[in-house]
Amino acid sequence: MLEKEFDIVIIGSGSGGGVVASELSPMCRDGVRIAVLEWGPKLKPAEFTGREIEMVGRLYAEAGGFFTKDGDMTIAFGRAYGGSTVVYTGTSLKIAKETVEKWAVPGLEFDNMDRRAEKFFRENNLHLIEDSLINENNRLFVEGCRKLGYRTKRFPVNVKGCKGSSLCNLGCPHGAKQGTDQVQLPAAEKNGVLVVTNCKVEHLGNRECLAVVSEPGFGEPSAWAPGEYRIKAKIVVACGGAINTPALLIRSRLPAALPALGKFITLHPALILVGLHDRPIANFLGHPKSFCCDHFAGTHGFLLETCIYFPFTTAKSCIGFGAEHAELMAHMDRQQQIIALAWDQPLERNRVTVDRKGDPVLDYRASPLVLDALHRAQIEAARIFFASGAARVHAPAGRKFFVERSEAAEVEDLIPRSGMLPGKISLTSAHVMGGCRMGRDPETSVTDGWGRVHGVPWLYVADASLFPRCSEANPYLTIMALADRVAERVRSDTSELLR
Amino acid sequence: MKSLSDSQAAFLLAVARRVVPAVATLDPGGTERFWRLIDDALNIKPPAILARFKFFLLILRWAPALVFFRPLDRLGPGTQDGVLRWLQSSPIRLLRVGVWGLKTLCFMGYYGQPEVAAGIGYSPVLEGNERLVERP
Repeated sequence: MLEKEFDIVIIGSGSGGGVVASELSPMCRDGVRIAVLEWGPKLKPAEFTGREIEMVGRLYAEAGGFFTKDGDMTIAFGRAYGGSTVVYTGTSLKIAKETVEKWAVPGLEFDNMDRRAEKFFRENNLHLIEDSLINENNRLFVEGCRKLGYRTKRFPVNVKGCKGSSLCNLGCPHGAKQGTDQVQLPAAEKNGVLVVTNCKVEHLGNRECLAVVSEPGFGEPSAWAPGEYRIKAKIVVACGGAINTPALLIRSRLPAALPALGKFITLHPALILVGLHDRPIANFLGHPKSFCCDHFAGTHGFLLETCIYFPFTTAKSCIGFGAEHAELMAHMDRQQQIIALAWDQPLERNRVTVDRKGDPVLDYRASPLVLDALHRAQIEAARIFFASGAARVHAPAGRKFFVERSEAAEVEDLIPRSGMLPGKISLTSAHVMGGCRMGRDPETSVTDGWGRVHGVPWLYVADASLFPRCSEANPYLTIMALADRVAERVRSDTSELLR
Repeated sequence: MKSLSDSQAAFLLAVARRVVPAVATLDPGGTERFWRLIDDALNIKPPAILARFKFFLLILRWAPALVFFRPLDRLGPGTQDGVLRWLQSSPIRLLRVGVWGLKTLCFMGYYGQPEVAAGIGYSPVLEGNERLVERP
């Protein structure tokens, strides 16, 4: 086994790890040795081909096919230099004051979080896309919502030089999305941080990590040769995301009782919904996600967002098969798509565990409240589709594969709650949160309000696993704000921990 | 095909033709890509999940024999569809999940092929903004 030694090791390079690396990197000038260990590859620019199966195989954990224990939900999260920031759409919402208050983490104030989020607004070039570049898929959504009197919001996005390929979720072929792969990691490397890709951390020991470097056959070569490594570190910051961080801590058998570890996972369970127009609409041109409708967030606990997905993802998101399914799929250029995301409650039973090999297992069941929310979301999305001119709508809980325009007034009857059968409907999630929740009490939380693990002074967490409950908004800006806060704490603790 | 036996693959192909009718019209190149995509997806699955999937194929093939006295792939197309439709909405979650997983593989094998994209109207372009502003 090869040996390495650093002062600070950061595990993961997504919105948490990238920010921590960037924020701590000025310390390298004072001789502090910092490494980022990233499981995924760093792709070469020419390797961003936009081909669906190829890209999910290279950029997503388990090729995008990570399932919950019951097998009825698909969880998508990135595994790459830049983590999930390589494969999201760059849409950015700040956490609301009411949500921070619901989190009730001692010492975590909304104003402080908001100020930090604002910093990343500037750093990541967040702005509204100009009107002329809003595509028809998005315009129709706004038009439908306006006719119905539903409130919409426009997403700021973090792009620079976007050419509108619409392939954001497969990694931007132009490198336009300002994720940590484009902003924070290059800045950290410039200051002296070493980023080691293709490096999977298997285990944490006392101030050390055991890791394996592999050669996947694509991407830039890793900074380290393939093999097994023991990496000594005075400080470790775990930023592997809300599935891998809890799993790593669980299999490492830390010297502290952490009964809440892995528990209280929330996912913003989501459904992809499709309306079919009589004519082609410009859905694959331009940035795919410009608007959301938060009209029902307060009353019914869901958000509707514009989206446009790729052929396989769209096909598996629909129920049914055969001729009617093929009819829907034969006209992808006529599809209007909406994704519905439900705000789920933090339940102790929804948790990450590990199997005998130590691999993560996500034991999550959508609660009746979540299914209620997603049922209502389908009805409202169907109304939006029809109000924007769609001829037919596919609702996964529908009594029929298509609800026709002539039946628009009957959507309540045609999309019954009894159709919300997990396993039949294709639930998905790209917002995994919790598992190392912040708090004061070690019985109900894993870290303190600054991400330091209870009873393990050299170990911090800085990713979405810190969330005590869901963020009720796309989470990456909130992860960055929290990571910024954790980095501040690490800096202030270095005099004690780096001795 | 490394992940499934010849008999399992033949059954999967029969079901795939019900799930995605166009699978029956794939040329040899398309059929090869169909199997490669499915095989790649199955090969990265943990052995326990692969074993569960094979067991589900077995159940799906032979459970209809209890009612129709023939395995699923020897039934008429309409009856096969009826069985799949019933299982898709079955009160037993595991059966629903099994059908979803099977359908997902079939969809991946067909719609995961870049060669299929243009024929279904999926045609993103790298310079999408330019096209967008050119549109009337």
